[in-house]
Amino acid sequence: MSCEQVERDLDAYLDRELNAESATAIRDHFGRCAACRRQAAERETLSRLIRSAPYYSAPDHLRARVMAQTTRRRSVRRAIGWAVAAVLTVSVGGGMSLLQLASSRGDAIAEEAVNSHVRAMMANHLFDVRSTDQHTVKPWFQGKLDFSPPVADLSSIGFPLVGGRLDYLRGRPVAALVYQRQQHTINVFVAPEEAGMPGLNDALAQASVRSVRGFHVHHWNHGGMSFWAVSDLNDAELTRFSRALAAP
Amino acid sequence: MAPRVFEETVLPHLNAAFNYARWLTRNDADAEDVVQDACVRAMRYFSSFRDDDARAWLFTIVRNAWYNRISRRPGVADAGPLDPQDEPPDGALDPEERLLQQHTVALVRSALERLPVDFREVIVLREIEGLSYKEIAAVVRVPIGTVMSRLARGRERLTAALKLAAPMEAPR
Repeated sequence: MSCEQVERDLDAYLDRELNAESATAIRDHFGRCAACRRQAAERETLSRLIRSAPYYSAPDHLRARVMAQTTRRRSVRRAIGWAVAAVLTVSVGGGMSLLQLASSRGDAIAEEAVNSHVRAMMANHLFDVRSTDQHTVKPWFQGKLDFSPPVADLSSIGFPLVGGRLDYLRGRPVAALVYQRQQHTINVFVAPEEAGMPGLNDALAQASVRSVRGFHVHHWNHGGMSFWAVSDLNDAELTRFSRALAAP
Repeated sequence: MAPRVFEETVLPHLNAAFNYARWLTRNDADAEDVVQDACVRAMRYFSSFRDDDARAWLFTIVRNAWYNRISRRPGVADAGPLDPQDEPPDGALDPEERLLQQHTVALVRSALERLPVDFREVIVLREIEGLSYKEIAAVVRVPIGTVMSRLARGRERLTAALKLAAPMEAPR
């Protein structure tokens, strides 16, 4: 691959939008060409700088205004929506009799994981224990759960641990670990593979990926534990995160 | 199938919507109007929302709301003062590092705000919101090739601007 080709594809490469074959060719080229390596490093520095730009969160009064508008427009259709929600909640609580297939079980858990993620973000209750130190976060769960969740710090690859809390999935207490990627929050729900999470071991043993209402959900089992990672982070980066967490 | 309730679908992405609108308009008041307008539209169109990606869907509506606004008020797109607003300092840093960080943040912010909006928005959607090329193409309604060339040109301009700006004083 020539320097011209590398220059043409450099952005797509750094944005992880290039196919595997071309990406390998670029990496090979980097091994031989200091100038292109420098160019890539410069682009990466620029990316880091751009991400240091302010993130503008919606002010509280705007949120309140939008919510007031929503309430005013409460419609029959929405009332029906809530009724469906109520029925679903009851059936979920009643042992999942409605959902037979492993995949729909997975979907239901993914849905619930997204709900927990959203609830924690909106209620501003992300942390029971706020610490970037895995040796503080892990012992905090002692005595609160009947298992000890693995807690890894991934700050070396840009996903710092920021804390944890007790949460519930399928009516069972689970560990929720909170990671940060720039302005994006990642919630990782951890519970033992079998107990309380039936059906997860067969069809869903492989890592699976879902998209629920704009959030990405990754699921995998590892070392006797079930993991659900939820974030609005883009899929490529969440995949990188999940892989690093699954294979420490 | 879970219920698709507006509050649960759209409101979690209100921060992202505001951030995008804020970078489009470059001031708080216009960004608030755009987001509020977008939410009214989103509610109106919600019954036709099929796609799973609510965030990208909301970005599209925010962009339309903004575009509608500037086409009604010609000249507003690049007018208006850039309101000075500093980021809260990071308490973990020592004073010198904090000063350096504030300095850098101010430089980057000003360089990004000075970028023409076509370049600015793809950079914000890619670098800050982490959208894929395909998602950006859908929001901005241009082919993926155009997204790529705008990203490349925008990044080149930023690189140049930040290099030029580095030895000078930070804008207040």
